[in-house]
Amino acid sequence: MELSPTTAGQPRRRDSLHPAHRWGAAAAVVATLVLAGCSSTGPGEAAPPATAVPPGSATSPDPLLPPQAAPAAAASAVPPAAAAPSPAGVPVHPATAKPAAAVPPPTWLTVPGTSIDMAVVPGGVSAGGAMEIPDAFDRAAWYRYGPAPGAAQGSAVIAGHIDTTSNRAPFSALKSLRAGAVIRVGRDGAPALTYRVVKVDLMAKDRFDGASLFRRSGAHELKVVTCGGRWLDERLDYSDNVIVTAVLE
Amino acid sequence: MRNKIFTAGAGAAAIAAAIALAGPAQAADGDAQLSVLHGVPGLTVDVWVNGDRTLDDFAPGTLAGPLALPAGAYELAITASDAADASSPVIGPVTVNLAANGNYTAAAHLDAAGKPAANLFTNDAAQIPAGKGKLTVRHAAAAPAVDVLAGGTAVVTNLANPNEQTLTLDPGTVPAAVAAAGTTTPVLGPADVTVAEGTHTIVYAWGSLADQNLKLAVQTIEGLHSSPASVPGARDGSADAGGAGSAAAAGIAALALLAGVWGVARAVAARRAEA
Repeated sequence: MELSPTTAGQPRRRDSLHPAHRWGAAAAVVATLVLAGCSSTGPGEAAPPATAVPPGSATSPDPLLPPQAAPAAAASAVPPAAAAPSPAGVPVHPATAKPAAAVPPPTWLTVPGTSIDMAVVPGGVSAGGAMEIPDAFDRAAWYRYGPAPGAAQGSAVIAGHIDTTSNRAPFSALKSLRAGAVIRVGRDGAPALTYRVVKVDLMAKDRFDGASLFRRSGAHELKVVTCGGRWLDERLDYSDNVIVTAVLE
Repeated sequence: MRNKIFTAGAGAAAIAAAIALAGPAQAADGDAQLSVLHGVPGLTVDVWVNGDRTLDDFAPGTLAGPLALPAGAYELAITASDAADASSPVIGPVTVNLAANGNYTAAAHLDAAGKPAANLFTNDAAQIPAGKGKLTVRHAAAAPAVDVLAGGTAVVTNLANPNEQTLTLDPGTVPAAVAAAGTTTPVLGPADVTVAEGTHTIVYAWGSLADQNLKLAVQTIEGLHSSPASVPGARDGSADAGGAGSAAAAGIAALALLAGVWGVARAVAARRAEA
């Protein structure tokens, strides 16, 4: 299928953070050691490393992202093919696999007026059950098993880091977005989409409502997610997720 | 207990209305979901539920439903497609017990010896962990025990009619083949079987080895996905709302992190010492 992360994930735009803005190497090393970061893994436990999607790794695809995987949203969005009602109204169809509808994956995300201008790659689920996000601060992940931007229904989730190992990342600007702000999403094989922010919420991580954030039915929205609130040393994590909700213009 | 879903003498229109009301969208709380699979080669049939014709001219390799039905016992009978009533079934009648909220597939298929039989399979419609899909293989063919091979490797072994095995897998497309147990030469396939995230894909091997008409039938149960447990959007505390961005705050954060690392190191060392 055409959803190969190795082709969809090529960065089209460069980050706008200047290296001079980064903190010292020592701090960076220290921070790297506590990479548990925003995960819920407690101190002292081995945190599963977030799996980055390497660019151009056509010969070594990420095992968590099988190239042939069919997006579940596509499958569930397709009504039973060739369903023919029987005389009594019972749907009857051939017992064959339904073809998965092709979904154009998002490839970049920009928020005019901010430094958010980055590549988007498909992301799945890490071994620990968290959404998989690239380590690179200038790349965001689209939750590949949920709806895509432009889907008929459900939330398309794009998430990225709020900080680097030493500084703020572009997504740190999300919490300051105002209603009406424009978010542009580029797609592979389909026209770019323009969304308008309707709200910015904080969701406490210890009351994380995944079913709401990752819903696959109902009105279509774009959810752009990062971390926020307070940094909690005892958790090596932020207190909240910042969730920007936007709707198609 | 017999649960009469259609009152005796109800007209065809009333039956149609009852069935239409029983559709998945209108399912009442506690209703069971029943699908019907036809896996007997060369035999077009009618399916009767509690004496009423529910499926007319039901062809091999087709799947009907799911129907939402109140929990209870139902009598299924399968007749020739031109039968006037259910009094001379070619399969059954069989009584199936549907539990509240259960998910079932009633399958008409050949037994291992090639005789038409009816079987009620219980489908696992539990939520699937985020990022995974489920695959069940059911042996519903006139054939001895088989192995199911994925890319040449046996992933299901010694599966006999009418048994099943279920695997939880990473989503993807599996080149699946069926071979006699203990062998690797396919008697069926390989065929691409897609395992979608959050979906339970059920594959039936049906037909007859002797008659060389083995086939695969596929049923999917969608919407079993669950959500990721978290969105880990941070690397360190650089964007703390309390004022990261100033060198002083960052320095304090770095010190705090350093202290955290020492704490972890001490904890690990202590644990090692205990071990």
